[in-house]
Amino acid sequence: MVQIVDAYCTLGTERETALNPADLLRLMDQAGIDRAIVAPEDREIAVENASGNRRVVGLVSECENRLIPACTANPWYGRQACEELRRAVADGGRLLVLAPALQGFLLTDELADPLLEEAGRLRVPVYVHTGPHSSASPTQLVLMAERHPAVRFILGHCGSTDYHHDMPAVFRAAPKNVWFELSLVRPWAAAGYAGLTDPSRLIFGSAAPRNHPAYELRHLSQYLPVADNPLIYGENIIRLLEGTAS
Amino acid sequence: MIVDCHTHWNASYSTAGCHDPVAWLEVLDRHGVMHAVVLPMEGLADDRLIRQENDDVAAACSASSGRMISFCTVNPHWGKQADEELIRCLEVSKHRGLKIHPWLQGVSPNGRDMDRLCEIAAEHDIPVLFHDGTPCSSLPSQIALLARRHPRAKIILGHCGLYEHWREAIAAMDYAENLWGCLCGPHLAALRELLRRCDPERLLWGSDFGYGQADPVGYRLGLLDLAGAGERDRYRILVDNPRRVLGLPPVVATERKPWILRRPSPAVSHPSS
Repeated sequence: MVQIVDAYCTLGTERETALNPADLLRLMDQAGIDRAIVAPEDREIAVENASGNRRVVGLVSECENRLIPACTANPWYGRQACEELRRAVADGGRLLVLAPALQGFLLTDELADPLLEEAGRLRVPVYVHTGPHSSASPTQLVLMAERHPAVRFILGHCGSTDYHHDMPAVFRAAPKNVWFELSLVRPWAAAGYAGLTDPSRLIFGSAAPRNHPAYELRHLSQYLPVADNPLIYGENIIRLLEGTAS
Repeated sequence: MIVDCHTHWNASYSTAGCHDPVAWLEVLDRHGVMHAVVLPMEGLADDRLIRQENDDVAAACSASSGRMISFCTVNPHWGKQADEELIRCLEVSKHRGLKIHPWLQGVSPNGRDMDRLCEIAAEHDIPVLFHDGTPCSSLPSQIALLARRHPRAKIILGHCGLYEHWREAIAAMDYAENLWGCLCGPHLAALRELLRRCDPERLLWGSDFGYGQADPVGYRLGLLDLAGAGERDRYRILVDNPRRVLGLPPVVATERKPWILRRPSPAVSHPSS
């Protein structure tokens, strides 16, 4: 039986990511998803890092067997961001989330270097939201991954949508410390990506509640059957969290 | 009579001659889609192919018994030749709209070339559909300014801002009353907000079928379904709004209401819907 792990969900309180743990667990049950990584919401990623990190850890405390807390820190907070990352990881955070478009920096900016070095020291994988903006493109992430070989990066959304033109080159150029997460990638495009890289590099995610996990999983599995792809649907992200992926 | 307002002609679906739309239409039939706006594709990236592709799209659509509604494209940088090609497409080849993909075609929606093309489109009462949702030349706000400058023109945001700019698409449609939005690309949560906040008389739906080999029609119809549009809005988005923006004849009332999509099964119901 394949263990399905959703690599990115948000437990938010406002706007389009409002979702409580009980409803997320219900969505996961509908989809057959065993475990999910849950991240702070947009406002917390942008400015209220510490309270957001504490809120998420608090929310998952009663369902730790299924929900895995992620944490965040905005590089503009400088040394405080590194301290918050250390505190959040000690508190249970398993993944650092960066969203440069929300946090107001360009991914290749040296501003983020101290925080990324700290993530490398703590052996916490770094999930980066990429998108069609110029704050965090897939190509920028390749440059950062080469600059920080000790950091394991997850390239969230594979640049969906319009950077998909870059993805074949990105798959070829990406160093070994980059994995590719598939939320917001069209199901048929994800199947194409599976043909361009090793299955040990791809990671399933739904981006719930922006998307519906069961709906996305049903469509994606038409192209990448769950039974045939245990790495993509769970093993890769678990190995990353455990520090055994390479 | 569901109308898909965003598809692309893809010649690889032709089975018996390069303009045969039978296999292409079979995909739409599978999902109960009656009409489709058919946009060019290769000419958007390579302007040497524009004239030939405009003719190919027109030929394929003319063989569809009225089901496929052809849009042409031109390279706005061509200047007078662009005007001439657009007029030829509208008056000779009977295209029913103009497609512009600003970042692929390397043009700003706010350049003088676009002003001229919009004037021609308004004179011919045909819509101009833009790719949108991506910087630095396809932002909804950029297209909104163009729309405000040309109040007689019908301008369509082809993607309602995609994943990152859907809030901007809402603001853009508020800003320009002649700006329409095609629900083709935003994620589920964004679709819900677009349905809640946009003028329901100016929303359309599209699948992007033909862009690549996959069949995205069912996926995108299902998303609209999950987003929870009521029966009245579904009728507007899938039938009546496309009819108005495209100038299709009025719908004859029938017993069947094919615009009523299947309800979400319990397996995909959403706690907040």
